[in-house]
Formats: sequence, structure tokens, C-alpha cells
Amino acid sequence: MSFRHLWAVTRKEIQHIFRDRATFILVLITPTVVLLLMTYTLAVNIEHVPLAVLDYDQSPTSRAFIQRITAGEDLDLYSQVDSIAEIEDMLIQGQVKAAVIISPGFSRDLLSLQGIDLQVIIDGTEPESGGFAVEHIGWRAEAFANEILADQFQIQGIPLESLQPIDLRVQAWFNPGLKPIIDLVPGLISIVLGFPALTVALTLAREHEHSTMEQLLVSPIKRTDLLLGKIVPYILVGLLNVMLIPIFAILWFRVPFQGNFLVFIALSAIFLFAELSMGMVIGVFMKSQSAALAMSFLVVMFPGFFLTGIFFPITAMPEIARLESLFLPGTHYAIITRGVFLTGIGLETLWPNAVMLLIIGTAFILISALFFKKRLA
Amino acid sequence: MLIGGALELLAIGWATSRPITNLPLMIWDQDHSPASRELVLALENTGTFLLEDQVQSLSPIEDALNRGDINAALIIPPDYSTQLTSLLGKPTLNVILNGAESIPAREAQRAIEGVVNDLGEQVVLQHLGLDPDQTAGFNFSLRVWFNEALSEAYYSTPAELGLMLEFTILLFAAITFSREKEFGTLEQMLVMPFSSLEIILGKAIPVILVGMADFALMLGVVHFAFHVPIRGSGLLLFVLALGYTIVELGKGMAISVFSKSQHQAFLLVLMIGMIDFMFLGYAVPVESMPRIMQLLANIIPAHHWLNILRSIMLKGSGLAALWPSILALVILGIIINTFSLLYVRRKLE
Repeated sequence: MSFRHLWAVTRKEIQHIFRDRATFILVLITPTVVLLLMTYTLAVNIEHVPLAVLDYDQSPTSRAFIQRITAGEDLDLYSQVDSIAEIEDMLIQGQVKAAVIISPGFSRDLLSLQGIDLQVIIDGTEPESGGFAVEHIGWRAEAFANEILADQFQIQGIPLESLQPIDLRVQAWFNPGLKPIIDLVPGLISIVLGFPALTVALTLAREHEHSTMEQLLVSPIKRTDLLLGKIVPYILVGLLNVMLIPIFAILWFRVPFQGNFLVFIALSAIFLFAELSMGMVIGVFMKSQSAALAMSFLVVMFPGFFLTGIFFPITAMPEIARLESLFLPGTHYAIITRGVFLTGIGLETLWPNAVMLLIIGTAFILISALFFKKRLA
Repeated sequence: MLIGGALELLAIGWATSRPITNLPLMIWDQDHSPASRELVLALENTGTFLLEDQVQSLSPIEDALNRGDINAALIIPPDYSTQLTSLLGKPTLNVILNGAESIPAREAQRAIEGVVNDLGEQVVLQHLGLDPDQTAGFNFSLRVWFNEALSEAYYSTPAELGLMLEFTILLFAAITFSREKEFGTLEQMLVMPFSSLEIILGKAIPVILVGMADFALMLGVVHFAFHVPIRGSGLLLFVLALGYTIVELGKGMAISVFSKSQHQAFLLVLMIGMIDFMFLGYAVPVESMPRIMQLLANIIPAHHWLNILRSIMLKGSGLAALWPSILALVILGIIINTFSLLYVRRKLE
């Protein structure tokens, strides 16, 4: 490896990024802008789910019950209806996400402790809101029933405390309120940092398209120097983002930063190296920029989004997907970012992930160099 | 690219369209009684958890949480069974969740609370000497419409299809002019005896064909591989898909003419595509977003398109229920395409 040659290629690539101001600004701000937007829209708490109620009982108890389930911020009474057909209309139109049907014997059954039938209908096309509604209706219904039960027991002289025989104490470490925003921000960093990285595949394809590849090859630059030189500028721009993003995360979204900043920067550089090497492999195989980009989407971006455990836990995936996730740089980087931001762990725990990133990066660079030679021969 | 999108959808849909299971749970049972074993068994039977080897102190739990190896830990106190059987006793169960991954943590909390509530109810009934079969609390009967089995695939795969379709159209549209500009061949094209409208249409038609073919392929994957039904009119779905393709095409063309190079066009597509993705309702329903985001969603074509796609496939909706979304899409389409056409023509001339 010759550093002079490496630097020559790096400088050429930096010039390419800076020559056009619009491109440079896009490379620089895309990650931060997308992170801001994603966090804003993804990390919200579900509330005010619209509900339809069909009350066949029409008793004071059923009215008190309706009052109770819609009292909070979580569920809103959209409309009280008279027939199932109306519920059907509202669900199809999407005006309500769930409906509660109170059976005719509601108050009688409740007071005689015989068990109450409560029918809940939810819109299965949006299980998030529907599941939320079921859960919250359940809690309210149980509390309501317990109060009535307690009233009856008190008449019989049984102490109330015995109604809840187990004291369940739940605490969440690292994120006490289990706020999605706190763990999504560190998780999403790996996705947004990957954006400009994706375009590195384009730089090789660009040389092919413009037929400048031959010029580069007759120059005394080694293949690995050429490939690394193409990556280095993107690592540098990526690192600018790495410094920018925690500022937003900490000041704007109030995400804690428990770990060591230097460790974060160093491991981010390794992640960028691995991610960019992955993009490089694509660049070697694809002759045009559009094909290179399409492949990067398929191979780097979509799996990076769905298979790295940010939204969907890896342990719950099928075997093959779990195996694939091991080879995605994003999986390891998500562990690293959550670690340094939330848990405050350092290299002593994160080194296997760092090593894995180095292995992935080196392997991809070597594969690129190997096939680069073959394709040119 | 065409086949790739459909294959990708197959792979991702397969990996993510399942309930959350196998969450690693670590248990420290200080009681070792039949009652505590019953609790552990009940947790295992939920299917939500993958039980780690039992531990005998707090430090392995701390380590595992720090490393992120487990999603939750349960600590059963030594007096669990004695407290539980005595009439006024109240054993304390401690649960520690790994908040660094809030989605599985919440799932774990839900499952543990469910199990503990059930156990508690049984204990109360025993204390009171009541027959569990005779006394019942709320008997929930839950009906899920449009998605009877609560299949995750019904929900996630249409959104994944929406994302991939949008990116495909935008990408193909974005390279139409930026490519010619980068190579300097646009001038050649302009000196040829074509009107600018002919050039635009000639560039647009292949993109539309690619978009529709991609849509048909991916719809096939969603329908046949994931068994998501198409309850409404297939014809209506395709007509509206064509309409949506044209709307996105207008966006892509504008990006294409605005960009000086393909590189720049791609970056713009990425940014705009990701912004639109937020409003597909993949992770969070739009209705739950902040007010300003809900307003913003109205001007995102993909938001209306996904509403149409879901409604036709799952609810079997027709024009009567869908007209507001269709109208919104048409209005957006007219605005975007008029602007785009004028802009592209001005740039070309």
C-alpha cells in the first residue's frame, strides 16, 4: 500500500464531492434531516384512538362503564351507535379503529358476578391501534369490575388488599419510561449514516460509465489503494455526521449519552468502513450507476432497515434471517450505539462487535479487489 | 431491479411478519417451590420468551442486561410461595426490562403482566373459596375485522410493497434526464426534431411500464406467498396503481431535471423517499402522530395510496368508501405533474 497513491485517489474523490455544492450539502445533511424526521414520526405514543360504542344495556352501570373507558387520553368516544351496521360502516371508512358492544344483561351480570360478555371489534388492518385499544379497554374494564367486586366484598367484610395477591414491580433499565424515542434514535443512526455510504458504490460505476476507469488502471495505483481511496472521503464525511447527530440526539431529543465519546467516534469509523466496503463490492460488479444504486438498495439499505433489529427483535426472526443479520454491519452498529448512548458500556463489552465489523469490512474490500482484477482481465 | 424488488419483499416479509417470540428472559428463582416453578412454566407457555439458564444472584442479570443479551429478567423472592398461600401475604415479584430495546421490552412486560394477573386471580378465588368455573370476570370476546387471524403480514407487507414501489418509480424517473445531463447528451437530444413534450412522454412511458410490472410482481408475492387477500376489485386496484405511478413519476422527473448528476439525483430520491416512508404507517399509525405530521401526511401521495391499497385488499372497499383518498391523490397528481411538466419543459427549452 502506498499512502501517496491512496491520498491521490482520496483527493480526487473529495474534489468530486465538493465540486458540486448541492451534492456536498446533500451528502452532509441527508443523515441528520432524515434522522430528525424519522424520530419525529416513529417515536410517538399512540393516543386518542377513536372508538364506537353500541350499548344494548342502556343502564346507569353501562353508561358509567362507557364513561370510564373513554375518560383518558388513550381512547376517544367517536360515536355511540344503534346497530352493528353502523359500526361496520365506520370501520370501513376508517373513522373508528375499534368498537365495543355491551350486551343487554351487562349490569345484571356484573352485579351477580356471573361474568360479563364484552365484545370488542378492532380494525385488523391497523393492529397497532387495534391492539392498543383492546389492551386499554381490558385494563379499564378490569378496574371497573374490580371496583364493583370490591364494593360487594366490603359488604361481606373481606379486606380489599387481598384482591391483588401479587405485588408486581416492573422497572426498565436504561430507559425508565420505555419511551420509544430513547432507543429509536441510537438505533436509527446506523440507517441514516448508511445513506451517503450507499452512494459509494456509484463512484466505481461512474468511472466505468465515463470510461475513465482505463486511465486509472494504467496509472501506477494499486487496486486496494484505489478502492480504499474511494472509501476514505466518505468515512470522513460520515464522521462529520457522527459528530453532528449526537448533538441533536442529546439536546433535541434528550437521549442520554452514557458512554465514552471517543469510543463512539472510533467504532463509528469502523462501522463506516464496513458499510462502505459492502457498497464497494456492489460497485465492482455493476457497470452503471443506476444498476449500482438499485443493488445497494436491495443488498444494503432494505436489509439494513428491516433485519438489523431496530424495529423487529433479531431473536424473533427465523434462523436464516438471524444468520444474515450477523453479516450486516448495521446489526453490530445498532448494538454499539445503543450501548454507548443508553447502557454506557465501553470496549470491554463491545469489542466482539468491533472485531466483527473489522472482519466484515476487510472481507468485503478483499472480495472487491479480487473481483475487480478478474473483471478487468 | 424488477425481480429483485419482488424477491426482496419475499425475504423481508418472511422475516418480519411474525409475532414477537423467543425474547431472552433470565430468571433468578430464590424460592425453588412448586408455586415458583408454576410461575416459570406459565411464562414459558406464553411462547413469548426464551428462558435462559437460571441464575443465583443479581450480577449475571446485570451483566446480561449491560451486554444487551436479554430483554427481561424476573426475580422471585425466597418467600414467594409462603406469602402467596397465606391469606394476607403479598409476595413481591421484581421484573427488570431492558429499556435499550423498548419494543421487545414492552412485549415482555405485557406477557409477564398477563401471566401474573391470571395467577393472582386464581389465588383470590381460592382464598375466597369460590369455584373458578362459576365465577368469571370479564369475558372478552375479541373480533378482528379484515384480518381475522391478526396476521402481521396483512399489515406489514402492503407497507413494504409501498416503500419498494415508490423507490423503484422514483429511481427510474430520476435517472431519465440526470443521466443525459451527466453525459452531455441532452443537447443532442434537444437539437433533434422532437418537441419537449415528445421527449418527456418518451422518457415517461418506460418508467410507467417498469412501475406497473414491478407492482404486479410484488402484489403476486404479497398475495400468493403471504396469503394477503385481495377482497376488493383487482381492476380498481390496478387503475389506481397506475394513477399513483404517474403521480410519483412527476416527482421523479422534477428531481431528474433539477439534479446536475445521477449522484445528486439519487441522494434526493433517498431523502424524499425516506420522508414519504414515514407516512406509510409502517411502525406507527399516522393518526397517532403529532398534529403537524398528520397535516403533512395529507400532501404525501404515498399516504393516500397506502390507504387505498390496504382498503381494497383487506376491507374490500370500493369507490364509495375510497373517494376521499382518490380525490386527494388526483389533486396531488394534477398539482405535482403540472408543476413538473412546466418545470421540465422550461429547463429543456
